[in-house]
Amino acid sequence: MYPTELFDVLGLWVGLILMLMIYSYPLWKENPAYRFAEYTFVSTSLAIILIVAVSNVIKIAILPLLAGNISLIIPIALGAFMYSLFAPKYRYLSRFPLAILIGAAFGLGMRGVLIPSILNQISSTITAPSTSDLFSWGNFTYVAIGTIFSIMYFFLTYEHSGALSQPTKIGRYIIMIGLGAYFGNTIMFRFAMLTGRAEYLLQVLKIIGM
Amino acid sequence: MSNNDIWDKLQNVDRRILYWILFIGLMIPLVTPIGLPITISPTTASFYNRINALDPGQVVLLNLGSETSAWSECLPGLIATTEALIKSDARIVVIGPLVDSSITWNKIVESVPAIQSLTYGEDYVFLGFYTGGEAAVARMATSLRSIFPVDSQGVPLDDITLMKNVDSAQDITIVISSDTGDSIEYWIRQWFTPYNVPVGEVGISMLGSSLMPYYRSGNIFGISAGIRGGAELEKLVGIPGTATKNMDSISLSHLMVIIAVIIANVGYFMTRTKGGK
Repeated sequence: MYPTELFDVLGLWVGLILMLMIYSYPLWKENPAYRFAEYTFVSTSLAIILIVAVSNVIKIAILPLLAGNISLIIPIALGAFMYSLFAPKYRYLSRFPLAILIGAAFGLGMRGVLIPSILNQISSTITAPSTSDLFSWGNFTYVAIGTIFSIMYFFLTYEHSGALSQPTKIGRYIIMIGLGAYFGNTIMFRFAMLTGRAEYLLQVLKIIGM
Repeated sequence: MSNNDIWDKLQNVDRRILYWILFIGLMIPLVTPIGLPITISPTTASFYNRINALDPGQVVLLNLGSETSAWSECLPGLIATTEALIKSDARIVVIGPLVDSSITWNKIVESVPAIQSLTYGEDYVFLGFYTGGEAAVARMATSLRSIFPVDSQGVPLDDITLMKNVDSAQDITIVISSDTGDSIEYWIRQWFTPYNVPVGEVGISMLGSSLMPYYRSGNIFGISAGIRGGAELEKLVGIPGTATKNMDSISLSHLMVIIAVIIANVGYFMTRTKGGK
């Protein structure tokens, strides 16, 4: 339903005008209105991120620390060390939180990567369909051949000639089909966003309902 | 004007003209819906069936990891998912790794009238924003309270009825994550692999193809990919919404791009046939 409150209506129109300012770049050319909208977007986003981040640190670290949870001084100090990047003399301090972050991320990532990303993938690739459905078997064959031939394409220690010539060529085509599907989905994502904006334009102008 | 000129021009149409045609063209079905049929893909059907199979009272963790900028893609799917969860009498714990997750949750609450009949704190709860990426997701699997000592309104979790017996992966039946990136993999690695908690996805279209290996290998129980997935979910839930309405527009935009590609290719081949570059 179309809003009736003044500030809600104003918000809709400000959103629409900023959107048109942004679209003036692809639909016409770069211009001051586009830049204004771009800078407004970046600065507003940054302000929101800053407020939420600071509020979050206060909520989950500062307040519990003041309430007596002394152990929180360690993550707070590590976070503060990140700001030493601004002082060349103490820049080395920023390496400690970075090392912990990278180490933790790597360790956590490795912990769960083996089963879903390697073992289950191999298992699902070599497991034949349980039904006699032609489509399932066709898909199974395509995935099996596609996996083997695509991997063969990356055998760079051998020249892709002789017996390796045709499989690597097929592997390349299969990679192209995969990337094409991914690109197609990317296009669909962009169009969905564009449709959303077109819908918003029509809604604000009251051509279609909200 | 020679024929070659026409073919050359077909290859070099100013992209702004195409943008204008596209932008105006996809508004037509929004004003005058065509009503093209929507078929259900196996990934969406599997996603919906898993939600439908939930027993009343089971707890579902809903991770709002898609930005407000991706509402066109993910919001219809999230709204339909929430409708399906309410129909299954599931209890919903909502969390968000983004600064705008609360805006998305407010929009869902606004768009799903059935939520009004639920009781906050008993049937659903919004724990709010969390940071820390995969490390936070891993920690939540053993203690939600370590990441969320209080909910989004500042109420301690122990004082919330729904959360009294909910604190770890063992207390959660399924996880549904909405993403624009690869953070679904955090849930697969940190919740599915060690604790066998099924994970489902309401994501952008790109994730439809990139997550397919995880779906086929059983690491995720279903995918609602983009606005198309949202439209399919709306059909399954029986409440047509924004996605159903916008699918005509999406289909028409694809048709226009296909025509543009054909015109450009005809121009290219004709130029080559006639001895051009």
